[in-house]
Amino acid sequence: MTTLLQLKDVHTHIGQYHILQGININIVENEVNVLLGRNGAGKTTTLKTIMGLTPSSKGSIHLHGQDITKRMTYEIANMGIGYVPEDQGVFSDLTVEENLRVAMRKEDETTLKKQDYVLDLFPDLKTFWKKAGGKLSGGQKQMLAMARAFVNDSEMLLIDEPSKGLAPIVVEKVMEAINEMKKTTTIVLVEQNFLMASRIGDNFTIIDDGKTVHHGAMSALVDDNQLKQKYLGIG
Amino acid sequence: MELIISLTINGLATGMLIFLLAAGVTLIFGLMDVLNFAHGGLFVWGAYTGIFAYAFTESFTIGIIIALLTGAILGFITEKLIITPVYGNHVQQILITLGLMIVLSECIKVVFGPNGIPVSVPPLLAGSWEVGNIIIIKYRIFIIVIGFIIYGLFHYILTRTKIGLIVRAGVMNKEMVQALGINIKRVFLYVFMFGAALAGLGGVLMAPYSGVIYAEMGMEYAILGFIVVVIGGMGSYSGTLLAAILVGLAGSFMAYYVPYLSLAVNMIIMVIVLVFRPQGLFTVVKG
Amino acid sequence: MKKQTLFTTSNVVLCMIAITLIIIPFVSDSRTMIILLTQIFIFGILAMSYDILLGYTGIVSFGHAMFFGIGAYSSAIILNLYESTMMIFILSIVFGMVLSAVLSFFVGLLTLRLKSHYYAMLTLAISGLLLVVAEKWRTITKGNDGFTFRAPEIFRDRMMFYLFVLACLIITFMFFKRFVSSPLGRVLIAVRENEQRTASLGYKTLHYKVIASVLAGVVASVAGSLYAVSLRFVNTSVMSMDITLDALLMTIIGGVGTLIGPLIGATVIEFAQHYLSGLARDYPIFERWIIIFGIIYILAVIFFPRGIAGTLGNKYAQWKMKRSEAKTSKTYSGLESSMVDKRGDLK
Repeated sequence: MTTLLQLKDVHTHIGQYHILQGININIVENEVNVLLGRNGAGKTTTLKTIMGLTPSSKGSIHLHGQDITKRMTYEIANMGIGYVPEDQGVFSDLTVEENLRVAMRKEDETTLKKQDYVLDLFPDLKTFWKKAGGKLSGGQKQMLAMARAFVNDSEMLLIDEPSKGLAPIVVEKVMEAINEMKKTTTIVLVEQNFLMASRIGDNFTIIDDGKTVHHGAMSALVDDNQLKQKYLGIG
Repeated sequence: MELIISLTINGLATGMLIFLLAAGVTLIFGLMDVLNFAHGGLFVWGAYTGIFAYAFTESFTIGIIIALLTGAILGFITEKLIITPVYGNHVQQILITLGLMIVLSECIKVVFGPNGIPVSVPPLLAGSWEVGNIIIIKYRIFIIVIGFIIYGLFHYILTRTKIGLIVRAGVMNKEMVQALGINIKRVFLYVFMFGAALAGLGGVLMAPYSGVIYAEMGMEYAILGFIVVVIGGMGSYSGTLLAAILVGLAGSFMAYYVPYLSLAVNMIIMVIVLVFRPQGLFTVVKG
Repeated sequence: MKKQTLFTTSNVVLCMIAITLIIIPFVSDSRTMIILLTQIFIFGILAMSYDILLGYTGIVSFGHAMFFGIGAYSSAIILNLYESTMMIFILSIVFGMVLSAVLSFFVGLLTLRLKSHYYAMLTLAISGLLLVVAEKWRTITKGNDGFTFRAPEIFRDRMMFYLFVLACLIITFMFFKRFVSSPLGRVLIAVRENEQRTASLGYKTLHYKVIASVLAGVVASVAGSLYAVSLRFVNTSVMSMDITLDALLMTIIGGVGTLIGPLIGATVIEFAQHYLSGLARDYPIFERWIIIFGIIYILAVIFFPRGIAGTLGNKYAQWKMKRSEAKTSKTYSGLESSMVDKRGDLK
């Protein structure tokens, strides 16, 4: 159980708003680490802070022991962290093919193999290869976004609410994909859908009011109704 | 009939020159959300350095190369020193690029003197062909050809190459491009330099066409460039080409038939576009 | 609630300056000084009008010269056609104001609803167009050569004109001062700060921006009328980009959004223009002094966006804060931390 990414007392301000007020997380390698919490708790901001899109104002972030707190977004991405934002970030005027091509850092054998692999995982993308990203359905966009994140050698993927707005059958597909990806990549998953989170998550961290308040093994959380009620409003 | 052809060629040539200037403006705006009011300064500097290089070496090709280099270098300096410090603040950026425009124009007068300098067409491209009753001026055809080549280059780069893909993606979603590991700021710089080089090229090609170069031509052509960008749609290079051709033709025909309306006609088109289709005549999708 | 005192420090200082200015022509013999000051007043009015647009509403216009030019030509042409009496002069000013109002209304309506870049480009293009119109319409404007005309008798005496312009300046300044603190003025400031927010609060921001545009245009026109009479001559230079640039430089260097800033800027730039052109006769290097101003302007936009007045004002405010902070920090800090948590929400 090695720690791949470590956040220590991270604070983030957006304008005058103090969104993250002390985030402490240890992301475990090769597991699906789930971030849970109510709306507005700061889960998305945590991901964005890791990526450098909203720089932290205090605290530190270490990847493999290396300090990445003040690094630029593209540097962080190049260190092996992939990001699938809440709105998928699909380039609407580019085709599926072009979307993937932009994402690929190298166009060598390994990357192409990965592309084949991910296209097998998401056959829809092959069908709509030449279709503009903006014309895809919600589920297909999600698959494209995840394929993009996967196609490079990402050590870690930050995935933000992948099941949002998707039909249950599509959510199943997404979960299948994440389970596959988990074999070679560490996943940090933000999910509101507790059912999905509990089924694929290995460990959890609860964020409330911008602070990390609890963490542990997912199996433990499933049974703890008090905790679920208090921080997630369910159970 | 000869008249129509002559006016058309004239209009196309002018249009192409404006396209070279406007293409840079529209690309920079589409990607960086920066409206470069100093672009005319790049145009006039390209003209002067190109022509002086041509006069010095007697090679128009060298003049063209120098103009491209001048544009690129000035573009580099502009992006680093002027654009980056005020990135994100529209008002400051509009103000500061205008300031740079003034400085560039005035520096022309300091370096090259305040008077206009006459320029003649390079011998290889001078003269005209006679096709039946029609006289076709060679230099104008040359400009039109170059214009189309540049447009083709644009199109190829943007649709076929990786960097073009990145630029198009960046226009849609800068954040995501960064999250994919691409240094978008570096891309901005390249795009800016490319647009600036094009402006320089436009300047040096313009010189023999109009017969004279003078410091104020930067601003004059910049105004036409902006009109074209508005009409064609900010961020659309195809729109810019079509709009530039439209503006060039309109000006050319008006100058003959109703001279005092020739400047006004383009203004009027711009006003109509702004009222009915502010996103531009030729943009289909924001991109 | 702040008490409305008439005798604030700034008001007293302004009064003193005004009185000094009024006295100057009576004590000074220098004709050059009187003329220079008159020019400063005229451009001060122009710069203030520009500040209403840029400093208070956040609109960048590159065509302000067209209103100045309309005012100048209106007065020049009307005074030329009819008798040059005070009455006619006033009428010509009003005429210019009406033309400018109409023009700025339509230009504003057309482009202020789009991004700021469009307004800048459009005003640039239109003023360029009007410049060409002025050049070509020789029958009325005599083109580039321009024409001279008679000013009203009463202005034969430079001093009378000086006082008249000074009066205009003071009235304009006071009017603007009241305007920016009025509810209307404050909406404009809100638009400058965050237009989206202001719109979502229910304000039709376009209306307010057009009002600012019309107001600025009208006042610029007055400045133009005064300018023409000050020279007894008009030509196409009143429509030129140089005038817009002057307004721009004065406002930025003097300090946007302060009203007093543009006046400081006008003083600085007019003095500089005067002395540097004098120097240019002996030392040709000063001929291109505008480059220096251009560079100062660029540096100002990057490093001192608040200009002279703004930066000084900031320093003064900081100094005041430090003094009162020392006094009240002991009382407040305890109170505040018990009532409000770190997130800024009430506990």
